[in-house]
Amino acid sequence: MSPPQREFDTRTDRHLLGGLRIAWLHLRIGVMNELQYRANFVIQLIQSLVAISTGLVVLALIFDRTDQLGGWTRPELLVVMGVFTLVGGLIGFVVEPNMGRVMGDIERGTFDYVLTKPVDSQLLSSLREFRIWRLTDAVVGLAVMIWGLAELKADFDAGEVAGFVITLAAGMLLIYCLWLVLTAGAFWVVRMDMVQELFTGLYRAGQYPVTVYPVWLRLMLTYLVPLGFAITVPSESLTGRLTLTRLVITVAFMVVAFTATRWFWRLGTRRYSGASA
Amino acid sequence: MSVTDLRKVFEVPVREAGLAASIKSLVHREHRDVVAVEDVTFSIAPGEIVGFLGPNGAGKTTTLKMLSGLLHPSDGTARVLGHEPWKRERDYLRRMTLLMGNRNQLQWDLPALDSFELTRAIYRLPEAMFTAQRDELIELLELGPLVNKPVRNLSLGERMKAEIANSLLHRPEILFLDEPTLGLDVTMQRRIRAFLADYNRRYGASIMLTTHYMADVEALCERVIVIHHGSLLFDGPLSVLSQQFAGHKTLVVTLDEPADLSNYGEVIESSATRTTLRIARDQTASVTARLLSELPVRDLTVEDPPIDDVIELAFASVKPA
Repeated sequence: MSPPQREFDTRTDRHLLGGLRIAWLHLRIGVMNELQYRANFVIQLIQSLVAISTGLVVLALIFDRTDQLGGWTRPELLVVMGVFTLVGGLIGFVVEPNMGRVMGDIERGTFDYVLTKPVDSQLLSSLREFRIWRLTDAVVGLAVMIWGLAELKADFDAGEVAGFVITLAAGMLLIYCLWLVLTAGAFWVVRMDMVQELFTGLYRAGQYPVTVYPVWLRLMLTYLVPLGFAITVPSESLTGRLTLTRLVITVAFMVVAFTATRWFWRLGTRRYSGASA
Repeated sequence: MSVTDLRKVFEVPVREAGLAASIKSLVHREHRDVVAVEDVTFSIAPGEIVGFLGPNGAGKTTTLKMLSGLLHPSDGTARVLGHEPWKRERDYLRRMTLLMGNRNQLQWDLPALDSFELTRAIYRLPEAMFTAQRDELIELLELGPLVNKPVRNLSLGERMKAEIANSLLHRPEILFLDEPTLGLDVTMQRRIRAFLADYNRRYGASIMLTTHYMADVEALCERVIVIHHGSLLFDGPLSVLSQQFAGHKTLVVTLDEPADLSNYGEVIESSATRTTLRIARDQTASVTARLLSELPVRDLTVEDPPIDDVIELAFASVKPA
């Protein structure tokens, strides 16, 4: 019997595109799933508003006593807090749910189904789960950021906006890399549930520019937990602080970290042996 | 598909019970090698359906995982469709499927149709081929309107059928099925069996399946491979398995009036006029002849022992490692 007729598209240059198409379908599924639970939207919105209000009260208390914090004025810190909330929302939207799913899959053994698919396992497992309601944080953050910018009466050019978008994207990717490395740890030790709590705890530190912290902490919050890159640097771009050097460093660091992460992921999947084996 | 001297050794941490031992193992962890699969060799021709049998922990799943590319063997070789499975080349992954009865992959809250779309994107199936294959599977598996219901609302059997459809949308040439009928009721098991036989006929696909239900084996597999403690115990037709491991047959005799048959063979069960005897395989003919000539026999059947018993005898024939 002759093998069944098949006309698969196997061109390598289409792999990324194919992967993005799969991500798009997953996003659609995520939206359809979450639309069934509209109450979550309300809860999430209340949560976002409570969190940002607390942040704003603290900010008001600080500026009751001083005019600036580590060289940042009140409206500038509003921008930072806006970016902080925006990035937090984006992490909650795509990074956290996907990494949680990978850990769950490894524990349950369903990760087998990821590895037996003819697609890049990292791409597939990084863009499968989407929590759209977490985007309320992103929207609230964006609003606070714009409020801060309005108070600053900053007039920024296209270059600064581009700098913001580039550094924000690079910073997000860096955060993703950190999560992925911690998640891939599950290939060795199986249980990595504490990653989420650990990250949430550390993340709060990003509410202020990392430059306000002592040097050791600043370095840690930049290169180890890349909050400096994800929050402070994009905020710098909007407040006229970003230098070209720092932009280049951010992008270069991202490329290096991403490459290393990919290697680590490969190592992890090779190590993986199935939960019931 | 050919497999030669396949071997898999797992390194598992060992430690004694108790707190002291736990603390000790933090510092110095001792490992013990556990051989899950030991020098297994066999080959499967295109279009064959092979039952892969063995008790829990015999190494069935480990073997299936190596053949579907999930595990690297510690030693040995395997070629499936011209590929070394554990390299996980895309061409190979597109041509095979792995289905595990106890692990689902359909989207829980959505209709199966949405998951099918996702599978389509993952395998990059051209629209026409996908639609044709999907509709055919829906028809063959009698899924009908079920594919429009959220998966969470389906019964276990319905869900399994949808899972099967999902894993066959890319029309694989090799199917690795790990307990596909696990936990299903008899009717549903039968339906899935009929479907698999049909799929095998239609596309000439090879099927390797593990199961605990002997009815699956009897209905589907002309050939069985039995492994025990990781080693190959038997490879051949089902009928030969019973010849080799069961030296007896079962005789069911119905008489016009009650009688004692204990001098014809070992009585396993007896009611008023109906007696079940166990007799040595090579005496089947003579005992049957004697019974017929000496007693008022109303009915007599000769049967191979149930396959479960045969398998049990086969396992009992080897000493535990």
